[in-house]
Amino acid sequence: MMNLQQPLLQINNVKKYYPIKGGILQRVQGHVKAVEDVTIDVYEGETLGIVGESGCGKSTFGRAVLRLEPLTEGSIVFKGQEIGTLSDRKLKAFKREMQMIFQDPYASLNPRQRVGDALEEAFIIHTSLSKKERKEKVLNLLDEVGLKAEHYDRYPHEFSGGQRQRIGIARAISLNPSFIVCDEAVSALDVSVQAQVIKLLKDLQEKHQLTYMFISHDLGVVRHISDRVLVMYLGNTAELAPADRIYDNPLHPYTKALLSAIPRPVPGRKRNRVKLEGDLPNPANPPKGCSFHTRCPLATVRCKEERPIWREVEENHFVACHEV
Amino acid sequence: MPASEAVATQSKLGKQTEGKQKVIVVTLKKLLKNRLAVFGLFIIFIQILMAVFAPWITHYSPVTQSLVNSELPVGSENHWLGTDNYGRDMWSRIVFGARISLVVGLVSVILGLTGGIALGLISGYFRKLDGWIMRFVDLLFAFPGILLAMLIIAMLGTSLVNVMIAISIWSIPTCARIVRGSVLSVKKQEYIVAMKSLGAGNSRILIKHILPNCMAPIIVFATMRMATAILSTSALSFLGLGAQPPTPEWGAMIAAGQDYMWTSPHMTIVPGIAIMLVVFAFNVLGDGLRDALDPNMDLG
Ligand SMILES: Nc1ncnc2c1ncn2[C@@H]1O[C@H](COP(=O)(O)OP(=O)(O)OP(=O)(O)O)[C@@H](O)[C@H]1O
Ligand code: SF4
Ligand SMILES: [Mg+2]
Repeated sequence: MMNLQQPLLQINNVKKYYPIKGGILQRVQGHVKAVEDVTIDVYEGETLGIVGESGCGKSTFGRAVLRLEPLTEGSIVFKGQEIGTLSDRKLKAFKREMQMIFQDPYASLNPRQRVGDALEEAFIIHTSLSKKERKEKVLNLLDEVGLKAEHYDRYPHEFSGGQRQRIGIARAISLNPSFIVCDEAVSALDVSVQAQVIKLLKDLQEKHQLTYMFISHDLGVVRHISDRVLVMYLGNTAELAPADRIYDNPLHPYTKALLSAIPRPVPGRKRNRVKLEGDLPNPANPPKGCSFHTRCPLATVRCKEERPIWREVEENHFVACHEV
Repeated sequence: MPASEAVATQSKLGKQTEGKQKVIVVTLKKLLKNRLAVFGLFIIFIQILMAVFAPWITHYSPVTQSLVNSELPVGSENHWLGTDNYGRDMWSRIVFGARISLVVGLVSVILGLTGGIALGLISGYFRKLDGWIMRFVDLLFAFPGILLAMLIIAMLGTSLVNVMIAISIWSIPTCARIVRGSVLSVKKQEYIVAMKSLGAGNSRILIKHILPNCMAPIIVFATMRMATAILSTSALSFLGLGAQPPTPEWGAMIAAGQDYMWTSPHMTIVPGIAIMLVVFAFNVLGDGLRDALDPNMDLG
């Protein structure tokens, strides 16, 4: 399914800092280092899962890659073209190619807009289709995500969470994008509905050769849907490997800790539980050296001083840790 | 549709039938359960009828003098609300006064709202302009209430038109703050981010997505502001800064009636009651709308 030869996206040293303002004069007093140096290639047709604790910068990274916010630093090459520094105006053409599916199916649809009008808008913005052609497109979209033509004139609050998420998906695929960031796209749904929405996402991926960045805190779902999984910690990349390998043979101490926290599928098979102690450090003031050293069971003196480099320890398996 | 979602839809059916109706219907239904608001609506409806049909529901000109009939009391033959010191029919003057107060109120509220909404949208949405616009708004706020209106009239001269301008300028800062506040909360919503990721421009996002979701507080403000505008018009005219004699403006009528308080109290009491009723009506309607347009309500 995935084509390792051809990166669709080359993300290099991307940083995203948010200024912290304070005082009477609203001066910048520091920065929340939401994303601190992420380098990764995303291949055409793959699903890249991203996991990590709440607040580790997954959503920020997703938004930064879509250029919904300006980057603090770094470069993003999409289909051979640098978009990290492109102005908003020039970016418009790329917005067709990159879309997002949001976590909250209640908050991601304008409550005052009928579903048909909401889906039509993408075509108003990007095409010169007539009203009739646009309606036809929207009806096709509804059909494609498993909704009915009669839903065209309804308001979002008339739908269930799963149906709303389908509307969100329809909106994301309306312009035939090649890359979609799914930020906790199924986290808010009931388990049975989750499975249906995931199936829809997979079907659409196959049909349209979509590339997904699938952000979630649900490690089980991520394993199920992803080809490769990226583990993030405090804005940094900790480990990246094909999904099965990372679940069966995690190398980074943080990944081990994360995975040992999920219930084991096969009872009897023991896994050494690694417990995470302490809280996530403040991203405005991250620890020196390896950002994980404050909670790492293997931490050494070197970890407190020197930042581990992001390296490929075996084929397709990247880790940032001195002890691997 | 997959089975489990169909079930979810089924259980929502009760809500759905209600949801099919427009916001307006839902809001009106809630509003009509509020007795005070219904009373307010009734008074406003009567004022509108008087304003629209003024020439057809009166038999006398509101300005032509008839000294032989001066100072007739309430309940006189042919003049059921009596006449004033120049013998003008009080009913005609009240009816035409209703027209003036409605028009002045509407025009000044619409003008003020236009300015306030524009400033509020821009300052809430574009952070770079926010500081400057809010400084200007604070400047307008520095003058206590009606003093600002009086200051503007002092600069422009006394006339009803200038009263409208003054009151609309006075409405701008409050309206701008209300709108800015709503914009700040609406623009953080995911559906706004979704529109950005679709590549929608700022004006599309502001007008099609942010403004409609800020309407509830704007409608409440506009209704309450009608009361303020009507009261201020009369207050300014009472002080001689607005409508000039013989214009049948209610505040001006009270001012003219002051000298006849003991001989013809109806000259002050009748327009006084008119102002009171209308101001009360818009205020209770505004209150009712505030409750009916509960922002947490599931609107569609
Ligand atoms: N617009 C913003 N302004 C300032 N700080 C922000 C902003 N957005 C995110 N942050 C901060 O950046 C850090 C990373 O947030 P982010 O939402 O990316 O985390 P996340 O991994 O998606 O978490 P979750 O799993 O809870 O969604 C957090 O500390 C957050 O407070
Ligand atoms: S570098 Fe050191 S502190 Fe960081 S994860 Fe590896 S062992 Fe732990
Ligand atoms: Mg998130």
